[in-house]
Amino acid sequence: MNDTEQLIKEALGQLAERTPHPGPTLNALRRKRKRQRNNIFLIATAGVAAVAVLIFAGVVASDRYAPPAHNDAAAALMPTNSGAQGVEIRYTPHWLPNGYVETFRSVGDETTRVWVPASAKEQDPTQQTGAARVSLRNLRSLPDLAGWAETSVRGLKAWVRTVQGQSLGTTTELVWRAQEVLSVSVRGEGNGQETAMRVADSVRADAKIRYLAPFTLDGKPASDIWGSTLNRWTAQWRSEQVVVTLSTSAPAQAGGTPVTVRGKEGAIAGDTLVVRDSGLWLTVSGGSLSTDELVHTAGRVSLQHMEHPDTNWIGKGL
Amino acid sequence: MTPSFDDFVAEQVTPLLRYATVLTCDPHLAQDVVQEVLLRAQQKWDRIGSVDLPHAYVKRMVTNEYLSWRRRRAAKDVALCMTTLESVTPPVSDTTHHYDEREAMLQRIAKLPRKQRAAIVLRYYENYEDSEIAQMLGCAEGTVRSHISRALATLRMEHTPQPAGVGLRLGEGLS
Repeated sequence: MNDTEQLIKEALGQLAERTPHPGPTLNALRRKRKRQRNNIFLIATAGVAAVAVLIFAGVVASDRYAPPAHNDAAAALMPTNSGAQGVEIRYTPHWLPNGYVETFRSVGDETTRVWVPASAKEQDPTQQTGAARVSLRNLRSLPDLAGWAETSVRGLKAWVRTVQGQSLGTTTELVWRAQEVLSVSVRGEGNGQETAMRVADSVRADAKIRYLAPFTLDGKPASDIWGSTLNRWTAQWRSEQVVVTLSTSAPAQAGGTPVTVRGKEGAIAGDTLVVRDSGLWLTVSGGSLSTDELVHTAGRVSLQHMEHPDTNWIGKGL
Repeated sequence: MTPSFDDFVAEQVTPLLRYATVLTCDPHLAQDVVQEVLLRAQQKWDRIGSVDLPHAYVKRMVTNEYLSWRRRRAAKDVALCMTTLESVTPPVSDTTHHYDEREAMLQRIAKLPRKQRAAIVLRYYENYEDSEIAQMLGCAEGTVRSHISRALATLRMEHTPQPAGVGLRLGEGLS
């Protein structure tokens, strides 16, 4: 070992003699360990609190959704594209009277879902038959609440009334405001208000439920669809001038003036055009439309999801 | 049998501090490094306590901690200020004329790049073989020899033996 190496050893030995007393290190270590334990406790406490808040928020506000931005309002109220993603239904109840099945969905300005007793699912839900039914709607705004009684739905202010409508028996209507105005109506049940409250209590936001229209007209989806089974259904698009219907069932109209429409032979009788396309019956009605306009309108109809129509929900319960 | 963490600390804190002081040339930094390492070791003590030589493992943690220390207050700057060393533990009296030479050598060691300094400390303070140093630093033995060779060249080049009694005054112009 040369002089330099010897000097290095001596220098390092001398430096080692200046090693600090372990007391401050041990004290600092003790303090940091204590702080660490406290932090773990705080983190655990904060975690528990956060979970509690999330659960509370989930329970209280699960039926809320972010409202569309102002400039999206029109699009939200009147969907223009059913596309592959479809139109959001947004809400679903998790309790219904025993044996009820879904037979009707409507989107657009307001969204409506209707359930009826399985024994009554063959009845046309668009007709006022007075049969028992439960419906869930999200409304654009609160209705005129004069004469309604105040109540609450899962802590949110709500209003309820029972009315004698055009149909047989009474209808209980319950409306409450989450971030969106929701309404449950019950007809033909023994205790309508109790049933309505129970259905409303079970309503939750459901981003998975979407409405896939079986056809569009100029890109706008059919707004209503109803039926009794996945293979027996009718979808409808309507405006002030024209009503377009696509159905698995033949229309009542038989015969008429032959006309070529959509490359197929159809028939026009009065103000209604009928053509069979892809195994379905397409009907276009419009009192103010000429034959050419009816044919032109039918040509603008685009069938959607024909291989896998979104009709599995028809005639099924929760 | 796995020693408890508290027993380990009671037994090893002083050797670890001594090693860290020599490694960093800065008693304050040595304290910080040892604290950090012991805190981490405590969190993983189930595993560390079960290895054959826990103190060797923790010593390696100290080395790695020093090599990756990112604080602005670089050790070489601190080491040049002898008052820092003296504030922690005053230098012991040394009647030999080598005292000032050793201080000057310490300052030169403190200026070495970290890996070279660590290699020098492990070789001349811990008396490690190249293979042990390589394992400690996580590099090849050839790299260790290169570190030591370069460090020695630097220290020799700057080493000008002082005549007895004409030493550098501690802290003079060095902070």
